[in-house]
Amino acid sequence: MSGTAGAASLVPTERRPLVTLACIWIALIAAPFWMPLVGGYTALGSRILVIGLAAMSLNFLIGFTGVVSFGHAAYFGLGVYGAGMILRYVAPSTPLALIAGIVLGGVVGSAVGALICRRRGIYFALVTIAFEEVFYYIAYKWDSVTGGFDGLRGFQRQPLHFGAFVLNIEKSDLAFYYFVLAVFAIVVGVMGFVLRSPFGRTLLAIRENERRARFLGIPVDRHIWLAFTISSFCIGAAGALYALLNNFADPSSLYTDLSGELVIMAVLGGMRSFWGPLLGAAVFEVLQDYISGITVNWLFFIGAIFVLVVMFFPRGLLGVLRRRSAA
Amino acid sequence: MSMLEVRNASKHFGSLIAVREVSLSVAKGELRAIIGPNGAGKTTFFNLITGFFPPTAGEILFDGRNVTQLTAAERVKRGMARTFQITEVFPELSVRENVRIAAEVAAGYALRPWLGATAIRDIAATVEETVGLTGLAGKSHRLVGELAHGDQRAAEIAMALALRPRLLLLDEPTAGMGEQETFEIAGLIRKLHRDKSYTIILVEHDMRVVFHLADRISVLDQGALLADGTPEEIAANPAVQAAYLGKAA
Amino acid sequence: MLQLVLFNLFNGLIIGAFYVLTALGLSMILNLSNVINFAHGNFLALGGYLAYVLIPYIGFWPSLLVAPLLTAVLGYIVERTMIRRIYGRDPIYSLLLTFGLAFMIQDGCRYIWGVNGLPLTTPPSISQPLSQEFFFLTGYRVFVVGIVIIAVAGLFAFLRYSRMGMRIRAGVLDLETVSALGINVRLLRSLNFAFGIFLAGLAGVLAGGQIGLNPNMGDDLLLPSFVAIIVGGMGSLVGTLLGGLLIGVAAAITTIFYASASQAVIYVIMAIVLLLRPRGLLGEEGMQ
Repeated sequence: MSGTAGAASLVPTERRPLVTLACIWIALIAAPFWMPLVGGYTALGSRILVIGLAAMSLNFLIGFTGVVSFGHAAYFGLGVYGAGMILRYVAPSTPLALIAGIVLGGVVGSAVGALICRRRGIYFALVTIAFEEVFYYIAYKWDSVTGGFDGLRGFQRQPLHFGAFVLNIEKSDLAFYYFVLAVFAIVVGVMGFVLRSPFGRTLLAIRENERRARFLGIPVDRHIWLAFTISSFCIGAAGALYALLNNFADPSSLYTDLSGELVIMAVLGGMRSFWGPLLGAAVFEVLQDYISGITVNWLFFIGAIFVLVVMFFPRGLLGVLRRRSAA
Repeated sequence: MSMLEVRNASKHFGSLIAVREVSLSVAKGELRAIIGPNGAGKTTFFNLITGFFPPTAGEILFDGRNVTQLTAAERVKRGMARTFQITEVFPELSVRENVRIAAEVAAGYALRPWLGATAIRDIAATVEETVGLTGLAGKSHRLVGELAHGDQRAAEIAMALALRPRLLLLDEPTAGMGEQETFEIAGLIRKLHRDKSYTIILVEHDMRVVFHLADRISVLDQGALLADGTPEEIAANPAVQAAYLGKAA
Repeated sequence: MLQLVLFNLFNGLIIGAFYVLTALGLSMILNLSNVINFAHGNFLALGGYLAYVLIPYIGFWPSLLVAPLLTAVLGYIVERTMIRRIYGRDPIYSLLLTFGLAFMIQDGCRYIWGVNGLPLTTPPSISQPLSQEFFFLTGYRVFVVGIVIIAVAGLFAFLRYSRMGMRIRAGVLDLETVSALGINVRLLRSLNFAFGIFLAGLAGVLAGGQIGLNPNMGDDLLLPSFVAIIVGGMGSLVGTLLGGLLIGVAAAITTIFYASASQAVIYVIMAIVLLLRPRGLLGEEGMQ
């Protein structure tokens, strides 16, 4: 699943993926404790997990199927609104909100995917943007329901009741972090599982060489549609978590800018690697915080870093690390 | 019953007639070579057979069934496997992974989320067998994109074999290869034909390979079928000689 | 009522003219180099801003030529130093590169010239209204249409009759053969790119005179330009021309009935084209 560096070079090669995986999960589980040591805080960790999940979901398409969607924030945004609207209008239930977000993002994504799975290249990219614009327009215009430009407010994430035990994610950042981590784990687990299945391998085939995939008998369009659907459900989940994180939903979560940022995160961290986008999201968020503290023109620097990565480090940060460890 | 029968197939690109009413019939277990000067329409003809695009006119029958309207992927499912002039493989995956994907798709596992132990074993066996057959056993863990040209071609053939095809179509398998590699690929094709009884259609430019391997040869020129016969008949055919000499002039 | 319809039709012509100019440059770059230039709208803005800088020194008319030229030079440098490196790779990388470039140029403009709009002064000779009855026929708008017509005619003449134009056309059809004929394909690509950027810069100057300058001014023209290419058919400049006019007029007519949907109608047209005739009006089959 991924490479490693430093101390792990003491570990025999066959064991490396498992060790790396263990390290990653240990780091994630222990995050609320080591983050403050480096100037972070728990809510930031939750945010990075959520955005990282969105980037990883997008990368399921870009990095593993080889299909570029520039409008995937649409399904993220639908997840945000789905969750928000349930909490605001239907019931004060976090699980219901979560499911609503996942379903809304996923079902709409699936429908769009069915329409465009036969297109490629620029056509595909543009249609994904076009649909996103449409959803943005709806969120913006239908302000009686969505709150329009100002967004949907007036809802709160609700504590989770497990029988007698109550996980107060409403008040406790720590509890919410572990809730997010749990959902993250499930969604990421599903993605990883799919990628390692025979079906997942057909996606790699399509990425590597679509013509050859077709000439092996793989129904390429259908598989692209399935990949689009899976990534939409996953990004919908990220969206729902985002609504719960901020207790707020607004059209910017649907906007092309966010789609672009997710693409940047995926590439920055490493498109070909499973965990790359999470790293990319972390780096992006930290950089954004840091650079925008220094200058208001942080977009220029992000753009410049991105351009450099594309030109010289197309495998992203994890690609650089892997090459180091192989040497 | 022939394995492949093409009836009056034509392909027009606008006003350009690339393939002109070509008919041929390939028997089971036969190795047929398709030759002809440059621009004769050989690859276009191949593309018609394999479903790369539909014919402007004519029919294609595969093992008695009319496949003219089927897509490429559908024809592959029926048992046609092909290699390309410019090797089409999965460059950033290993040889094993390349072949494994082919085997899994052929076994009908393309949509499976997971495989049971028996299935895993069967797939692994297929991979072992085809990798061994094509002489890539020692390099099977390497990325295909990093292999030498000849090995990449062998890997592509391995993928085609893993599909358990009934008809193997090889488009210029020795293109761009040196003496040694040509010898090895030709040997592999011969093994597949003689020992494994594959029905093979070959587009080739290298006449030594053609005359060494083919049971029958079809000659295309300017999109039309010029001659069709045994290697001896073709070698003695003055029209064929003229076609080649004419082009060389 | 007639006035209203004419007003909007004329607006459609203007908008269409801008779409056409932007889309043609984008199309040229796409056709020859297979590069999706997400930064095209930003080069457009840059053209406008450079004119803003130049006008006080050399006046409007020279700036109309020089600003796009300077933008084209910058485009050439970008192509040479950045885009050229990634030609051999998967097409996704050129998409990503121009995407990152877009951020850089946009924020660069923001940094140099500020976030707020800036006016671009146009000479009074062309800013006068031309008719009392048809108040919307301002001299400037007619001027814009005129310049676009000249530019488009010039472009087509260049491609048809000049040596480099013919090479570009040949390259679009078959780059390998062109290369085999000994023509410097890399230089051709760079020059072609610069040419496309020139058109973007020109559009920027013209747009600046109409609506003023701001760092995001290219954004509203970029996506419709892509749509114009899709509607008209990839690979065909005439198609792009028709596509741009079509969506410009469609957007304007929509404004008569349902003002806020005028942007959306562009995407509706694109959706219809993609569903019914994916190759566009004049595109070739198999390019989608």
